[in-house]
Amino acid sequence: MKLLKIVALAATALATTLSTSAFAQEKLTMWSRSSSEAFMPALIDAFNASHKTQIELQIVPSAEMVQKYATAAAGGSAPDFVSLDLVYGPAFAKSGALEDLTDVAKSLPYFEHLSKAHIGTGTFEGRIYAMPMSADASVLLWNKKLFKQAGLDPEKGPTNWAEIEAAASKVNALGGDIRGFYFAGACGGCNAFTFMPLIWASGGDILVDGGKRATLDSPQMYDAINFYRDLVAKGYVPESAKTDSGKNFFGGFATDKIGLSPIGAFAIGNLVKNYPTVEFGVTFIPGKDGGKASFGGGDNFVVTAGRDNAPAAKEFLEFVYSLEGQTLLAKLGSLPTRDDVAAEAVKSLDQRYQVATEALKIGRTPSSPVYNDIINSSTGPWKQMLNEVFFGDDVKGSVTKAQAAMQAILDEAD
Amino acid sequence: MINSQKIHDGAPIRRKSVRNRRKQFAGLLFIAPALILVATFFVIPLGMAFWMSLHNWPLLGRPRFIGIDNYVRLTQDAQFWSSMRFTVYYTVVVTIAIFAVAFPLALFADKAHRFTKFYRTAFFLPVVVGFGSASLLWAWLLDVDSGLFSPAAEYLGLMAKRINLLADFDTTFWSIIIMVVWKTAGFNMIILLTGLQGISTEVQEAARIDGASSWQRFRRITLPLMRRTIALALILSVSGSMLAFDQFYIIADGGPQNRTVTAVYWIFSQSFGSFRLGYGAALSMVLLVILVFISVVQLRLLRTPEGM
Amino acid sequence: MSARRSASARHLYASLRYNGFGIVAAFLFLAPLAWSVLVSFKPSVEARQPPLPPWPVDGFSVQSYENLAKYGSGIWTYAGNSLTVALATVVASVTVSLLAGYGFSRFHFPFKNMLFVLIISTVMIPFQSILTPLFLILTKLGLQNTLTGIVLVYVTLQLPFSIFMMRNAFDAVPKEIEDAARVDGASIFAVLYRIMLPLVLPGVVTVAIFAFLASWNEFLAALILLTDQNKYTLPVLMAAVRSGQFGTIDWGAVQSGVTLMMAPCLVLFLGLQHYYIRGLTAGAVK
Repeated sequence: MKLLKIVALAATALATTLSTSAFAQEKLTMWSRSSSEAFMPALIDAFNASHKTQIELQIVPSAEMVQKYATAAAGGSAPDFVSLDLVYGPAFAKSGALEDLTDVAKSLPYFEHLSKAHIGTGTFEGRIYAMPMSADASVLLWNKKLFKQAGLDPEKGPTNWAEIEAAASKVNALGGDIRGFYFAGACGGCNAFTFMPLIWASGGDILVDGGKRATLDSPQMYDAINFYRDLVAKGYVPESAKTDSGKNFFGGFATDKIGLSPIGAFAIGNLVKNYPTVEFGVTFIPGKDGGKASFGGGDNFVVTAGRDNAPAAKEFLEFVYSLEGQTLLAKLGSLPTRDDVAAEAVKSLDQRYQVATEALKIGRTPSSPVYNDIINSSTGPWKQMLNEVFFGDDVKGSVTKAQAAMQAILDEAD
Repeated sequence: MINSQKIHDGAPIRRKSVRNRRKQFAGLLFIAPALILVATFFVIPLGMAFWMSLHNWPLLGRPRFIGIDNYVRLTQDAQFWSSMRFTVYYTVVVTIAIFAVAFPLALFADKAHRFTKFYRTAFFLPVVVGFGSASLLWAWLLDVDSGLFSPAAEYLGLMAKRINLLADFDTTFWSIIIMVVWKTAGFNMIILLTGLQGISTEVQEAARIDGASSWQRFRRITLPLMRRTIALALILSVSGSMLAFDQFYIIADGGPQNRTVTAVYWIFSQSFGSFRLGYGAALSMVLLVILVFISVVQLRLLRTPEGM
Repeated sequence: MSARRSASARHLYASLRYNGFGIVAAFLFLAPLAWSVLVSFKPSVEARQPPLPPWPVDGFSVQSYENLAKYGSGIWTYAGNSLTVALATVVASVTVSLLAGYGFSRFHFPFKNMLFVLIISTVMIPFQSILTPLFLILTKLGLQNTLTGIVLVYVTLQLPFSIFMMRNAFDAVPKEIEDAARVDGASIFAVLYRIMLPLVLPGVVTVAIFAFLASWNEFLAALILLTDQNKYTLPVLMAAVRSGQFGTIDWGAVQSGVTLMMAPCLVLFLGLQHYYIRGLTAGAVK
């Protein structure tokens, strides 16, 4: 009898599933990661309100987004659209999961004005599979109040490493639990965002030859490592940075007890909105002797292959890149992705956004189908190396080991 | 009943075999739902996993048959073997630690005192909290800024400044051992208590009258008589620890410097981080074989004359 | 006289020592739980500070719970899903393992021992490694992204333990009781339901509690097998809270989530612990 009940239960469940999936066909589905929760729902609502095409948005926890999308795609239940961390574009494009958007992209009159960093990672073997959705660029933040207290000019941010160290030293000298500098020391992704620009701005690089060769073992890398090691050794960096896997990437600066921190533009809106008492300035991440660089981050828009959704995708993208869409994104925390309307879109916003918008223009993003393995993965060579060299003893050994490990992954992917 | 049948029945043997067959059929029917579930959601997926292990199987894109290449490759995978070594090390340490705590607790809870039941409940409560929640709770307790241990040590003057317990391998490792002991000692206590209560008091009493010290009684009577219970607790603890994942993933993120990445963590990371499903499946197969081997050895070593 | 006094003094000393140890040990086991619950009622800002003392200093606050409720599509959706999944897993686990336990304990059929060992040995498989095949199978069955699908998976994951417990529970019941009932002409199901069930109730409760705890707390399978955010369970929400939003971790929200996750488990256990401990011991003796 109980068996019968189970069978009946299973049958009803089956029936409900079938009916819900039939219902789901009417709307296009889209996923975006939880870190874009501030602007994606509002953007989709605005789109739905003014268009016949309707999109239903799902928010997925950021850390699990990629594995979820990949599993769903393998099982044939992927959403129609995804707002995907731009670094994953090549991996998904290579696997054949994404619709070729080259024609859609080229048909846009302002194609040349879309974020280069985004289009760069969205391009795989000459075809475009991913288009800019939302953007973030790494910048350097300093705490004006602490600068003032430490006798520094609160209106002038540092322009090279020596100035950063000098400022961190003075702020640190304020004592108590105030520290000069903060970075998330156990986070591959965060340090790609904030540490790589130090190397770029000094003339070095991480990946060369179209992403086929790793160049960790470079003089610029050692310089940057020594710069950070110095900050750590002198006690300018809080103890908690050693194990911050990105959870508190921004939290440190928000406590109003950190002098300087390289971080993303997302922090600007967040500070203004949620931590109004923190007075801060925004500048470019400098190189050893000046210069500037930035990591172009954020999300790309991708379309799951084989569903004939390109027209709807175009309709949606045209809305995103319109002044209305760009302004809405900028207001809620993403940088504009189309640079010819960027100035207009951020016009009414905090002045500090201008710096971030400029940073995105020079933003770079390493592109590789195995980006996750070499950079983001919590068990990958990049994260392991940085944690070892910042806080360990054998810098040379760690770099050599990571260089070999990274190159091995790149070779294997070929 | 059978006797009476024999007397009244003309052909008892045939009748009996029909009955037997019907009874056999009924028995199979009773276990059928369980078998269907295990077949659908365990045996078939396991077979698929084995099949996948023979392929270069990306999560997306087309799988390619590569024979035993994955298995060849994993012999050179330094991280896998260091994870394996770490997992075994962890299993040995945590199992000893659990027994070192659970045994005294069981002896303690075996006594009949007024508040014994309360104590027993208190020791058992962490068991019912999920591993995920417990890990989150301890991740917070271990946090250097907002947690309990490090600030408390500083507050009490035990340390000059706050130390990040998760930045060093040893402190991370022992913190997690303590957390796991806290979480699982109660469960093992109950199992051991069962064994203790199965020993008749007369035997203990007789030994006492013969002048055996309490240590001697424990060594010579309690331990041997509890062999089966200990075996059960041991096997559960060892196979659970060999599959450890949540606590290392949530509390330590495999850190510092990938030194607390367990075997399952590495499999998870290969399968769902790097999307090498075929390779992850091959790693799983190897882990499975190792686990089966360990379990068989344990059963052999702890086998009582009557068998398990 | 003095001998008796010293005997009672010794008794008092032993009792003090016993309870002294008991209280210290009980404190160590309970403190982390209490700490978490207390901190969850601090205002957000205070929850960021080390929990010394653990109770809210600036007054009681449910701010952390409000922050928690802001994640995703509302805490009640997740809690409701979790509860549905957990209860369905309990019912199905009990039903399946009751039948199978009875079958394994009372019947003889070919390959019985082999099948039993097969079921029990599934505990040795890291289920993370069969997650992708599971996903594909559920998709084939049309059960992917349904709570039913995830319930079936949970029931299967619990089967080795449940069946082991139930077989032992039935083994402990003398055969004569059942035979007597059969002579009276009761059907096999009537015997199972009316005679046997009350006798193995501690085992049933143990299986039920374990099924509840496991399914209530499970995270990874829920995350992978459910794709619709309206179907997420609490642990999936906790993953989002844990990874921090916009690079800030809200420890107050984490503790309120932990408290919310723990509460039903603790209540259930405290309410049923009498049966549970008895079931566990009866099951483990074999």
